[in-house]
Amino acid sequence: MAKLIGGLGTSHVPSIGAAIDKGLRDTPDWKPFFDGYIPGQEWVKEHKPDVAVVIFNDHGNSFFLDKVPTFAVGCAEEYRPVDEGWGPRAISPFRGAVDFSWHFIDTLIENRFDPMICQEIEVDHGIQVPMELFWGRPAEWPVRVVPIFVNVIQYPIPLPSRCYEMGRVLRQAIESYPGDERFVILGTGGLSHQLQGARAGFVNPEADRAFLNDIATDPDRLANMSREQYVEMFGSEGAELMMWLVMRGAMDRDVVVRHKHYFVPASMTGAGMIVMENKAAASPAVAA
Amino acid sequence: MDEKPGQDRIPDTPLFDRKRSLGGYRINKMAMGLSRPENREAFKQDESAYLDRFSLTLEEKEAVMTRNWREMVRLGGNLFFILKISAVDPVRITEIGAHQAGMEHDDFLRNRLGKNV
Repeated sequence: MAKLIGGLGTSHVPSIGAAIDKGLRDTPDWKPFFDGYIPGQEWVKEHKPDVAVVIFNDHGNSFFLDKVPTFAVGCAEEYRPVDEGWGPRAISPFRGAVDFSWHFIDTLIENRFDPMICQEIEVDHGIQVPMELFWGRPAEWPVRVVPIFVNVIQYPIPLPSRCYEMGRVLRQAIESYPGDERFVILGTGGLSHQLQGARAGFVNPEADRAFLNDIATDPDRLANMSREQYVEMFGSEGAELMMWLVMRGAMDRDVVVRHKHYFVPASMTGAGMIVMENKAAASPAVAA
Repeated sequence: MDEKPGQDRIPDTPLFDRKRSLGGYRINKMAMGLSRPENREAFKQDESAYLDRFSLTLEEKEAVMTRNWREMVRLGGNLFFILKISAVDPVRITEIGAHQAGMEHDDFLRNRLGKNV
């Protein structure tokens, strides 16, 4: 049986990728941000996951407004970086976990989730940046990926509670999958930011820090919040934070937080990271 | 969540709802075109002709050509699409933010984002 070994959360701000591309990692603006991810990278090195399920949103790159899937699941052999306007970034294509993707899609449908199925699709910074933050820039990615695209741009966007419920189905899919692969799930996006309207530049560090606590200890509260509350608290684009709930919904009620990091502002965004393990599966010394 | 522009339920926070998506379709489709290198080249060569290919209204065209970000958003432009204009004619996203907030760039960095500038 496949195994869920951890839940990771992270921002996916495109400027992070641009900072890596331009060699700005160790500049005063960026060093404290990137240094905060070192423990997360070490966790990944130590735990060696085989598959990463990554929940993110496309930003008008792989999908236009002509077709907007609320949830879409990739089941491709390979995911290449898309041209977001500056040309495709020079990062290795991601290898897909095709067989698991189809198993997950089967499990979703059996549980009354009906996603769009994508056999050929390019991917934007929404998945690139999280992968780079935890795995760096390897010539070949040491994990295979399962992209889950969530529409958080064109209203109506899904309910936070729906994202949380999808996480439970993801857990069921992992645990019913034959094989001994080790899975991590990455919930991505946020934290607070607003790019549009007169409130542009809104960040809410206090709410961000509370979110980083509650995603571990009180996820039900976050799942029961309305979309309007997300927008109000985290900004119009920060509402995408609800995608972390897919990751959290796949985990046990009780988790151990291994690492946590917060930095503001990364470009115009409150940027956060968390690494969690299910308490029951964590080593006894830590769980005690 | 289907409020009229200028009547945001959360003040100064435009949500990309049905009305905005319908209203902004031309601008957003034009901007989406800029994810192709040949269209970026066409935009650089003759911006007006490129915009005409997408049947932008005069109002929309003027908003784009004057890089009036606030107006583009008011007309239904969504930032994730119109940001591609900045790949052709570089401008920092914080400048786009400051313009919408109606603030000087340094004031925006200081007062909204808490930076020491």
